This record gives sequence, structure tokens and C-alpha cells, in this order.
Amino acid sequence: MMNNPFSLQGKTILITGAAGGIGSETARIVVELGAKVILTDIREEPLSLVLNSLAPSSEGEHLAIVADLTNEEDVDRLVAACPSVDGLVCNAGVMKLTPVPFITDAELTRIQKINLNAPILLTRSLLKKKKVKKGGSIVFTASAAGVYRVSIGNGIYATTKCGIDAFMRTVALELGPKGIRCNSVNPGMVETALIGSFTEEQKEKEKLNYPLRRFAKPEDIAYGIAYLLSDASSFVTGTALKIDGGMTLG
Amino acid sequence: MTGIYNPYSLSGKTILVTGAGSGIGRATAIEASKMGARIIMVDINEAGLLETKSMLENQEQDHLYYIVDLCDEEAIDMMVKEIPVVDGCSNNAGITKLTPIQFITPEEMERIHKVNLIAPMMLTKYLLKRKKLARPSSIVFTASAGGVFVASPGNAVYATSKCGVDGYMRTAALELASKGIRCNSVNPGMVETPLINRGQVTAEQHEKDKENYPLGRYGKPEDVALATIYLLSDASSWMTGTALKIDGGLTLK
Repeated sequence: MMNNPFSLQGKTILITGAAGGIGSETARIVVELGAKVILTDIREEPLSLVLNSLAPSSEGEHLAIVADLTNEEDVDRLVAACPSVDGLVCNAGVMKLTPVPFITDAELTRIQKINLNAPILLTRSLLKKKKVKKGGSIVFTASAAGVYRVSIGNGIYATTKCGIDAFMRTVALELGPKGIRCNSVNPGMVETALIGSFTEEQKEKEKLNYPLRRFAKPEDIAYGIAYLLSDASSFVTGTALKIDGGMTLG
Repeated sequence: MTGIYNPYSLSGKTILVTGAGSGIGRATAIEASKMGARIIMVDINEAGLLETKSMLENQEQDHLYYIVDLCDEEAIDMMVKEIPVVDGCSNNAGITKLTPIQFITPEEMERIHKVNLIAPMMLTKYLLKRKKLARPSSIVFTASAGGVFVASPGNAVYATSKCGVDGYMRTAALELASKGIRCNSVNPGMVETPLINRGQVTAEQHEKDKENYPLGRYGKPEDVALATIYLLSDASSWMTGTALKIDGGLTLK
């Protein structure tokens, strides 16, 4: 197992939203697979908790950089502090259910800025500053929502994730010749704080829509991300990897 | 890194691989054996199968092989009767032939559909009937980007067979989820295997065709094998009904 093709040994990986459910689990798993990580999140304390929980890297210290990715100065600061990376995981995201008649410009702008504009602008800045190495891999946490299914009240979130889907494919096309790959993971419902607004009863009812009869654990998504970061996926680019417990089948 | 942590490991699993005598099937058998699995290989081609067997790692695992014509339903059933319970099945056996639609014959269509579509359906059926799929377990179909994500001239018969596999994979995923059996597919673009060098396409045409791939190359059998391993492993235990496109960006434009 020494020559594990899924190994991330020697790779440096930047993860956004690293204090959250999927982000922190991704950090843990890619570090276990041998990577050095640079973590970023807007939440300082939970971010340092994640950093301190990681196994040490033989490739140098892991870093945590607090940043508001909707703030251009913060993005510039993050990119300047960031060494060249082999992998970028754009994972930061928010969600709020709002029926169509109640959508406001302010809410729409806020969510789109975090879920869509921020990953686009961060990717742009890293590429512009040549901080993504040749052979590198960019992974977006998109969603099954919007890209494969719509659900009531989820218009804004779904819109942002469809935007990510189109951006991911465009990046894949533009950067393929430079040897940089770009893909997404598209989860169904994951047990994270993001779905905290659902009641237990709503959750149990919602699980019936999943043929595998459970929601995802963050690790289910993190393993997909780690696969896409590794050289095991070196011919995969422009792919939206649906990880949804079969939810979109019926 | 400890060298031990590997969520994509197949250690302790028995994996059935069809089409193991060459190409993607062979690479899948080899890579799965490296990841610790015991392999049961199936192919119609004995020489190829024996060669693959000699290439497997962890030979102490007592890897098995069966020479079977997967177009013969009775032969499938006889093999399934003999094999131990499996934790995964990788359906690779497949054939292709370029035929413009004016020249399609029922015989040719039937031959290709039998190998590419009906055989994996029958194999799944007998594995279920004879209770040879562990719970949980994972079935992976080698479908294609061809048909499912992109069409190309002359490829109608192959494309329809692979779209059939896609429809079957998703239906099986839905039907078998409650039994803990997951079904997914890998959907490669062009892969450097014996299948693409049957004299119908020149090397020059292949070089030109590679320009359609943003990554500038065709896939290697290992690219598909490693995706299959991810889908066979417990790392994908929340994935079912997914078609995993592995095409170097071919279908983006």
C-alpha cells in the first residue's frame, strides 16, 4: 500500500470553508493521505480548532488564514500568504430557504457573493498569481440541488450552485491544456450545521427520498474530493461528481 | 504518512471482474489486487486471462479465473453457482465496431448489445438470484462517455448499448439500494486499449482526435480502473446511481 495511487503525499492543498462540516472533514482526510493544508474560513475560533486537530505534516506546518472571501482585500491577503498549491477546494457556502415571492435583492446578493462570486474570484486570483501548480486540481463543492434537482424554497442556493457548475466546466476547458484539472462534488443532503434549520421530523421525512435511507456524513463527500485531488483522477476534468445516496434516481 | 491509512482500500473484499483478459478489465483486476482485494477474473480469452492472473499482486489471496462466454446465459449461471460471495463486481467486457447507420444489421447490433448490455444484466441477475452479492456490496458498470454524454459518427450501435447500460445502472441502483447494494458506472472517453486499435481508425486519426481532449491525451486503462476502485471501496458508500465521467474534458465544448 506504499504506492497508493490515491495518496496526496507531497501535495499542498488550500481549503475554504475549512471550519465547516465538509471542509473540516476534507482537511482531516487529505492530511491523513499525506497532504499539507492551508485552511481558510471567516470563523476564527472554529478554524484554529480544526488546525489544531490535524496530524502534523512532514512537508512543513499546516496554515490557517482567517479571511472573508467576499472581501477583495482579504482574498488578496490570502493569496499573497498562500504558497503555490497542488489542490484548491472551494467549499465555503451558505444556505437559506426562501420561497420565491420572498426573495430580496439583499439576500440574493449576499448568498451569491459567498457561494458563487467568492470561489470565482479566489480561483481567478490564484491563477493570476500562478499559485496553482501544473498538474494541479481544483474542486468545487457544488450540489445536487440546482444541478440535478430543484426543491421548494431553494431557488437562491440552487442558482448559485448551477453557476458553480458552469464555472467549473469553463475552468476545466480553459485550463486543461495547462495541465490543471477542475471538477466538482455534488452532494445531496449532508449532516452538517448547514441543514440545522430543519426539524428532526422534517429530516426523517426527507430521508425517505434517499434510496440509501440516510443523509451523507461529511466524510462521504470528503472522500470524493480527495479522489478528485489525487493523481488517481488525472484523466478526470469537467466532471460533476454526484454523491447523493440515490436521491435523484426516482 | 503512515502508509496504512487508505479509505480506498479493498482489503478483505472479493471482487469479480469481467473482461479481465485485456484493457480496462485487466487494469482493474491488477489495481484492485494492489488495493488488497481477492480477484475473480472472467473472460472468454484464456491466454489473456492467464496473463492477467500472472500480473496480479497479493498472489497468496488465491485469485480465481473463469473462462466464460458471457453471451451464454447458462454459462453465466454455472459460473455464479461456483464462485464465492463477492463484495464487488466490475463489468468490463465490451466490444465495439464503427458502422454508419445505413449499414447497421440486426445481427451486428445483436452481437454488440449481447456483450455490452445483456451480459452485465444477466450476470447481475444471477448474482442476485444465487445470493452471491454481499450486503453491502458495489456493482460498477464500465459504460462510456459515448452515447451517454456525446455522440460520434458511426458509433450508434455501441452508443445505444452504453445508454442501455446507463439506464440499467440507474434502475438497479434504485431497486437494490434497500439491500445495501450500490450501482454506479464509469464513463470513459477514448482509452488506450486493444479495443481502439482494430484497424478501423488509423494512428494519424487518433492523433487528430486527441486534439478534442482538453487534457491533450486519451485515457489510460488505469485512469478507469482507479475510478472503479473508488466506486468499489467503502469511500463511496453514499454513492449510488452515479455515472462518473472520465473523459479528459472531451464533452465540455
